[in-house]
Amino acid sequence: MKLARVEVKRAESLKRHTIAIAEAFIQALKPLRITIEYPRERRKYPDTFRGFIVFNPERCISCFRCAQICPANAIQMSVYKRAYPGIDYSKCIFCHFCVDSCPTGALSSSKVHDVAFKNMDEMFVKANQMTSLPKLHREDEVTVEYEIEKGVLKLKKEKIREDLSLPAILPAVKAKKVVCVDPESCIGCKLCVQVCPHEAREALVFEKDENKIKIVIDKCFGCGLCVRVCPMNVLRLEVVK
Amino acid sequence: MDVIGIDIFGIVSFLFNIFKSNMLNIPLLKPLIDFLMGIPILNLIVALVLWRPFFGVVILPGLTGLMLYLLWIVYFERKLAARVQWRVGPIEVARPLRGAIQALADGIRYFFQEVIVHREAHTPYFVQLPILSFIPILLPLAFIPAGAVVGIRTPYALPLTVAFISLIPIFVIAIGWASNSRFAFIGSMREAFMYFAYEIPFVLAAISMVYVYGSGDLYVAVEKQTIPGILLNPLAFIVYLIVMLMATSRLPFEIPEADQEIAFGPFVEYSGILFGLVMVLAYEKLYLMSLLFVILFLGGWSGVEIPLLGDLVAPLVLFIKAVVVISILVIVRAVYARYRLDQAIRFGWSNLFGLSVASLIFGIMVGWLM
Repeated sequence: MKLARVEVKRAESLKRHTIAIAEAFIQALKPLRITIEYPRERRKYPDTFRGFIVFNPERCISCFRCAQICPANAIQMSVYKRAYPGIDYSKCIFCHFCVDSCPTGALSSSKVHDVAFKNMDEMFVKANQMTSLPKLHREDEVTVEYEIEKGVLKLKKEKIREDLSLPAILPAVKAKKVVCVDPESCIGCKLCVQVCPHEAREALVFEKDENKIKIVIDKCFGCGLCVRVCPMNVLRLEVVK
Repeated sequence: MDVIGIDIFGIVSFLFNIFKSNMLNIPLLKPLIDFLMGIPILNLIVALVLWRPFFGVVILPGLTGLMLYLLWIVYFERKLAARVQWRVGPIEVARPLRGAIQALADGIRYFFQEVIVHREAHTPYFVQLPILSFIPILLPLAFIPAGAVVGIRTPYALPLTVAFISLIPIFVIAIGWASNSRFAFIGSMREAFMYFAYEIPFVLAAISMVYVYGSGDLYVAVEKQTIPGILLNPLAFIVYLIVMLMATSRLPFEIPEADQEIAFGPFVEYSGILFGLVMVLAYEKLYLMSLLFVILFLGGWSGVEIPLLGDLVAPLVLFIKAVVVISILVIVRAVYARYRLDQAIRFGWSNLFGLSVASLIFGIMVGWLM
């Protein structure tokens, strides 16, 4: 098969050259440029864009749900006062399933989207490093916002430095505590005591010479780990009245 | 002052009298110059700088103007292309000036960079040719006049300038040959092909203007332009404009250099200050061609009169006109893709050659009418 040459008439060709050069002059005088001079100008993203995850230890009930739901296995729980999550940003895919799954709103998003680390070890961010935003060397002086009016994209520049923290969104989940619905059936295996994330394991107590469970309600966070492991299914989470 | 039988004082005073007899007349600086002329050794320097041939070749529109223009155009071309293509361009060197001294910073960097001469190169030619290539750049500057300022006044200024400009590609091809590398070889072959495609239209366009003005003297050309040359011979104007792009590797015809294909073609092996010298070769050629362009088509240095500056007006006007022409011309870099070699040569030998022959006939007719 012979390839045919594309024939363009001379007048048409000249017209196209003229249009191209005219467009260049228009753009040179008033460019429709949307490039941002990144470190000095920062684009304002919607609040729902997922960024660095901030952790509030006071709200955390150590339920392990963030670690279990993480599809990239990036969250590792480590024990301080209780078991708290730490995030490995070399694995994290910023799906924010952990933030969504948190029943108390202890994990929340922030506007720090450019997370950078100096080495691999630093990429594992422990719970105590997540309690506030990471230390940033901020060069931005201008905040740029994209505005679309009638299909035309325009830049709106303001000489302000944007606050990168976001308020935590508290889920509408009521606080729950563990109760033993059928103490008679307890076989005294003490599995519930072993999984209790509370360091002193004070929430679930077995008194001496008695293989029956006794729950100390004040110490329970309602994480529900014991409910899951109980072989006799006698533990339940119930809403606190 | 009689050392080894030579009268140094006599020679100096002889030179001083030569310089003094042909100095620039600038009414604005007259008191300052008069004061400086009273100081012994300094007056010799002032007289030399203001000596018309020296001023024309070395200051404006000569070497100093060329350097200033290089600092401007290297930055401006990148910045303009970036602006049209919705980028930002060089910005980090001197941020308050939006990167305006980028070219100067690059030049200084070239000075301190090691010049690598690879094993396969023909070393003497490889090192000498970038420096020798200044000869055809600087020689035409002696013949390009700017009002009262001119290096060598001759009625053959136009043919001489065109001849020297046509010498530059020889040096580019020689540089490619001395580099002795496959990319450089392809680059110099492309340069040679392109050379024949654009040189004949260029010479024909220049000769057609000789016919229009009836002389190769650039003074006559400027004097006769009561109507600018653009209107006298628009065909030659178009041919010259396209040839300026082709001859200096501007983008639609950036075939010999072709960054993305053969990595700067003939100059691929150069580094350090030698690269700095060969990189600006095309820009220098563009400067020469646009000086000639302004004189032939845009009325040269005429049109502006400032009595206070006296003789300085003509070189300034010529320089500014040339820089403005180039600054407008470099915008094509932003919009065009590169032609293939065969496309460019076909264009050069068919359309451009035909147009240049037509411009020659048109020029002869206009010259006959005038």
